[in-house]
Amino acid sequence: MTELKAAARLSLFGILLVAADALTAQEDWLAKDANWNEHKTRLQAFGERFENAWELYTYLQETANGGNALTWEDMPKPAYDWSGVYTRTGGGLSFDPDIRANETTAKLTEAGASARQRKIDLITSTGGEYDPLSDCRPPSFPRWATEPFLHEFVVTPNQTWLMNEMVNDVRRVYTDGRAHTLPEDAYASANGDTIGFWTDGMLVTHTTYLISGQYQRGTQPDYSDRVDVVERWKKVDGNTLEADYWVFDPVNLSEPWYTRQSWTQLANDDDLLRLRYWDCRENQNNDILEKNDGTSQFSDFDFIENDAAVSTDEDVKQAAE
Amino acid sequence: MKRLLRHSLFLASMGVVGAVHAHHSGAMFDDTKVIELTGVVKEFQYTNPHSWLLVDITNSDGSVTTWGFEAEGPSTLMRAGIRKGDLPPGTPITIRGNPMKDGRSGSAWIDAVVNGKTINPRNGFAVIPAAE
Repeated sequence: MTELKAAARLSLFGILLVAADALTAQEDWLAKDANWNEHKTRLQAFGERFENAWELYTYLQETANGGNALTWEDMPKPAYDWSGVYTRTGGGLSFDPDIRANETTAKLTEAGASARQRKIDLITSTGGEYDPLSDCRPPSFPRWATEPFLHEFVVTPNQTWLMNEMVNDVRRVYTDGRAHTLPEDAYASANGDTIGFWTDGMLVTHTTYLISGQYQRGTQPDYSDRVDVVERWKKVDGNTLEADYWVFDPVNLSEPWYTRQSWTQLANDDDLLRLRYWDCRENQNNDILEKNDGTSQFSDFDFIENDAAVSTDEDVKQAAE
Repeated sequence: MKRLLRHSLFLASMGVVGAVHAHHSGAMFDDTKVIELTGVVKEFQYTNPHSWLLVDITNSDGSVTTWGFEAEGPSTLMRAGIRKGDLPPGTPITIRGNPMKDGRSGSAWIDAVVNGKTINPRNGFAVIPAAE
């Protein structure tokens, strides 16, 4: 009997050890390797433990004992040298790079599902849509992560700059210990307000005060202006940056949406690649009008003398009047 | 060949069949049709968010129509190996694209043959990593 009790105690101890290990492991960085499906499920479940992004962020900060301050002496270390020209590693325009852009892994609320269905219906009936990018408005965050053009990333001890060539878009991550803008002074904007801290070579961030938008053009879901996001960035090898994204949006998401984003440093031996200014007004041929059916159209080409006379599109004729 | 294969694999993995339009949907182009035209380069507008290659096409009655072919911006074209200096005015070119639905002489640029070499703007989305 005593032996049985001892065995039971040992078993219970073993279970507790495994459980404790699982809880700890959920918080660790998990590689995108052959076990990625399992890892992704664990990271999704980890996010679901929290009511909102701020709760997740403060948990990560507390378990990191507040994080560690960087110095200029740290900058040449591989973990913090993010120099070079990058682009999205893969996934096309899908917010979840593991699936095709016409699918989603987001757990949507009824409102979120309805909004997505409206987009699907519009595209089915018209073949396209009007995108606010068309007049060089910013993609906004978190859509920012899906844009497929060039990026540069600059780490300094007190700020990290995450730059997107598209519309000359810069996200600033303050890592000097400051708090978010006070609520009474805050307003929603395309990239919101981001603060962060460093721990074990990882940059952990929280972004809030965002405007509503869509994760990407097409049939991907929308996010509301109540969206906020926790990111965990890490340089995983000499030319790859990856980031865990936990997106919380009580309007459109019934659970936080976990994805792993990735950017690859491009070969640039001849130094020809560089981020170039992005302004829709530089070329008349990039002027887009929003059609009455909700899609987009070129307004007035400079290589056609009288567009309205040639085009069969009533919106082009109307724009010329 | 290895580089071309990597491009193909990447484009397949991206699900990139048509163009990735930087700042607008592709609703204005008819992706069920492909036109092929031969002419000479009039102007290469190498700009963000889109570049436009203007090509003069001589019609059967001797008149000239300028066609505009839209591609991605300079950084994507650079990655595809297409530089502004490669296509000066007067360069003979055979070019393919998906035409506009509304009858204007605009098109989404698919690929082209210049001096016997095929160039494809969409190859600029291939991810060729820097050496570690």
